Amino acid sequence: MTSRSHTRAFKDRVAVEQFGACRTLILPTRVASVVSWRGSITAFPDFGTGEDLIMDLTTDLLDKGTRSHDRFALAAMLEDRGAEVQFSTDGPRIVFSGRALREHVPDVLRLMAEMLFEPLLDPAEFEKARANLAASLHRTLENTGALASGALARHLYRPAHPNYVPEPTADLARLAALTLEEVQAFHEAHFGSNGLVLALVGDVSHDLVATAVQAGLGAWPSHSVPACFETQVLLPAAGRTCIPMPDKQNVDVRMGHGLRVRRQDAAFMPLFLANYVLGGNFSARLMSTVRDEQGLTYGISSALSGITTEYEGHWQVAVTLSHENLERGIAATLAEVRRFVEEGITPAELDEKKTTIIGKHQVTLSSTRGLADILHRNAVRQFDVAYLDTFPEEVAGLTLDRVNEAIQSHFHPEQFHLTMAGLLPAPVDDPMTQAIRT
Amino acid sequence: MHARQPHLQADVQDVFRFEQASGGIEAYRLLKNGLQVLLLPDDTVPVVTVMVTYRVGSRNESTGLTGATHFLEHLMFKGTERFQKEKGTSVFQVLQCVGAQVNATTWLDRTNYYELLPSEHLPLALEIEADRMRGALLREEEFERERTVILNELDRGENEPTRKLYQHVWSMAYLAHPYHHPTIGWRSDVESMRRDDLRHFYDTYYWPNNATLSIIGDFGRDEALSLVARHFGTIPPSPAPIPDIRTKEPEQRGERRLIIRQAGQLGAVMVAYKSPPGLHTDADALEVLSMVLASGKNSLLFRRLTDQGLTTHLFSGVTRLRDPGLFYLFAMLAPEKTHREVETAMGEVLKAVCEGGVSDDDVQRARRQLFAHEAFSRDGPFAMAAPLNEAIAVGDWQLYTTFIERINRVTREDLQRVARQYFLADTRTVGYYLPLTNGEAA
Repeated sequence: MTSRSHTRAFKDRVAVEQFGACRTLILPTRVASVVSWRGSITAFPDFGTGEDLIMDLTTDLLDKGTRSHDRFALAAMLEDRGAEVQFSTDGPRIVFSGRALREHVPDVLRLMAEMLFEPLLDPAEFEKARANLAASLHRTLENTGALASGALARHLYRPAHPNYVPEPTADLARLAALTLEEVQAFHEAHFGSNGLVLALVGDVSHDLVATAVQAGLGAWPSHSVPACFETQVLLPAAGRTCIPMPDKQNVDVRMGHGLRVRRQDAAFMPLFLANYVLGGNFSARLMSTVRDEQGLTYGISSALSGITTEYEGHWQVAVTLSHENLERGIAATLAEVRRFVEEGITPAELDEKKTTIIGKHQVTLSSTRGLADILHRNAVRQFDVAYLDTFPEEVAGLTLDRVNEAIQSHFHPEQFHLTMAGLLPAPVDDPMTQAIRT
Repeated sequence: MHARQPHLQADVQDVFRFEQASGGIEAYRLLKNGLQVLLLPDDTVPVVTVMVTYRVGSRNESTGLTGATHFLEHLMFKGTERFQKEKGTSVFQVLQCVGAQVNATTWLDRTNYYELLPSEHLPLALEIEADRMRGALLREEEFERERTVILNELDRGENEPTRKLYQHVWSMAYLAHPYHHPTIGWRSDVESMRRDDLRHFYDTYYWPNNATLSIIGDFGRDEALSLVARHFGTIPPSPAPIPDIRTKEPEQRGERRLIIRQAGQLGAVMVAYKSPPGLHTDADALEVLSMVLASGKNSLLFRRLTDQGLTTHLFSGVTRLRDPGLFYLFAMLAPEKTHREVETAMGEVLKAVCEGGVSDDDVQRARRQLFAHEAFSRDGPFAMAAPLNEAIAVGDWQLYTTFIERINRVTREDLQRVARQYFLADTRTVGYYLPLTNGEAA
């Protein structure tokens, strides 16, 4: 009970294997019995024509039966093992993740490959999946946070950008017109082993998974669809978008502008740390002032949002305000953001957030699921595994001048576009304000 | 399940009494003040979770003071003489500075404070938790500012009609017992709460003999106990016995029904039955039955409702609490479907279980899912904290460590028996969420 762990570097602990088309990262840990994994492929939908909606629907159908197993047999094979498999979409990627006991991992990985590449795409299941997706879009229409975030995304991106969020009502109309044939054609053309990467963590070894991955995920050919998305964020004029909603006492507010930055750019890490000082956690400035000192909100934060190695994203502040405090809360938030940009951060804040980010990196790696997520994300960025070891050094090496210069160069609150959804006061007579009625 | 006394080093062996060991957890009692200490070592990764669970929740609140437990939980981050924002040493500043995940939650039977952090900072976490156990300042100015923060939190909850439905079913199912109250409190009580009310609440319940300290992760036993003795050993036990609630919920003698009308898109149905206290063995059977009914695509309710297009999502659960809780089914309606047809279909499934029982396959599948979930719940020190916290709240931390044994004892016959015993029309509470279109909304 008194032994202490001595962890070695990731570059020494993670085995990187190529099983057929599948780049596989294997990290054994001392957890008993449990294996978690996360992987993805690039499907490259044409965002400009709304093909991402077809991708969403196709992904929803992956666990509804395969050519070899109907939906109940498929589910029974997972449920009998207590295993979990999930599919989702993330920009141009289709993401698969799961968790199982060690002895079931090979079977579940084979099954997951079957679901991914040989789905049944049955007409009856298509109708059910379409109805479920429609219900999900309907529920978005009653979600203040989702509507405020969506409105900001529509202001900052063109439809061809992966971060663009269509109006739920527009998606509902498109969904109603979709056919099974379009879904089948999308699967046929876009599901291949392009960009296939899989990270497995826990009670796992090369021998346990090699055959299953080689014969399953790794055996699939690639598709020939080229990447088809816009990479640049827009830098439109500032303004407001108001979405009045009855019965919603809490108003969700988003304010943000585009950032001409990608994850691998030199400016990213200074901005990441700077944003942490402003709104990265409970002890950041926004929580400290707008919540703790002024009592105006339960939740306020800021983030670098939607930035990847492939496309640009935006800087965003999110705050929830009871409708009677709406304008006061917005003013207080903007004042704090302006002060942050005008004055920059202090040496003490730099030091504090360095230890925060480095310590959080260690804490995030405390479960097999957290490790699989970060290994996968690192691989998708095409960063070497060793980056996970040098990340703390990169953070520690940030200087006050670099961080404050990055703030001055990239953060411009006067360019913020504001979106808000909830029970709103009467729209102000402001030509920059655009009211949307749901 | 008494285990042999572990050999402790000299400075702690007379300070603690070893009580029990089970499932890798060792339980100790700090003799000076009655603090229960649970140690769950796991050196898989170099992090540790520290959690203090106070046996106080909204069950301990009376009318006029609802929300006090939750309000106090917020103020516990607002400072002591040692750790406060004015000195740059608030709980968040100090702990997040080292990368810790920090938070607290309030529920019906308990309040817990926790931090997951690199293991070399275990002493800091213990110092903070000991310090705020009796040292919270609860200043008037902080109190007033936090009131509006909580009112915004309340508004956020009110935005969600399904959450409101869940709460109102509980409120209707419990007429006398304080499970009737929402944990966040009724708005008028939050608006009128006084600082002295919270001071009194704090001075009544926040004592070592009403708390369990759990340390989970990468640490050494003697070092940890030595730190606990140093930081918590100076705190006296409560000057008066910790009061318990006396109210028992009278027997429900007829179905209760309610409707929530609020702007929105798609409806929901919740059906709840009174269930036994969390430590009762029937709760184990109900837990397995809940899996059979609603976990996975082969579950009975999924096949009958979601697979048939009546619902988009459906889940069930048995709330294991100190006093009798609720077994509930919650369904989100698919477009064009009515509450009545969903409720009818749910009723048909439950009736079939009561009359015909369930199959061996169903029971085995549910068991295997629960076994895997138990293994998953031991994936890292943070994952272990949540189920352990709920077991402590129910009244016996070994509810976590003996989970598999108890599930193994559940038979197919038990499932039919508990279905017949608890799924009674007279103890049922049914709630509908009816969305109003924009034109209908106020």
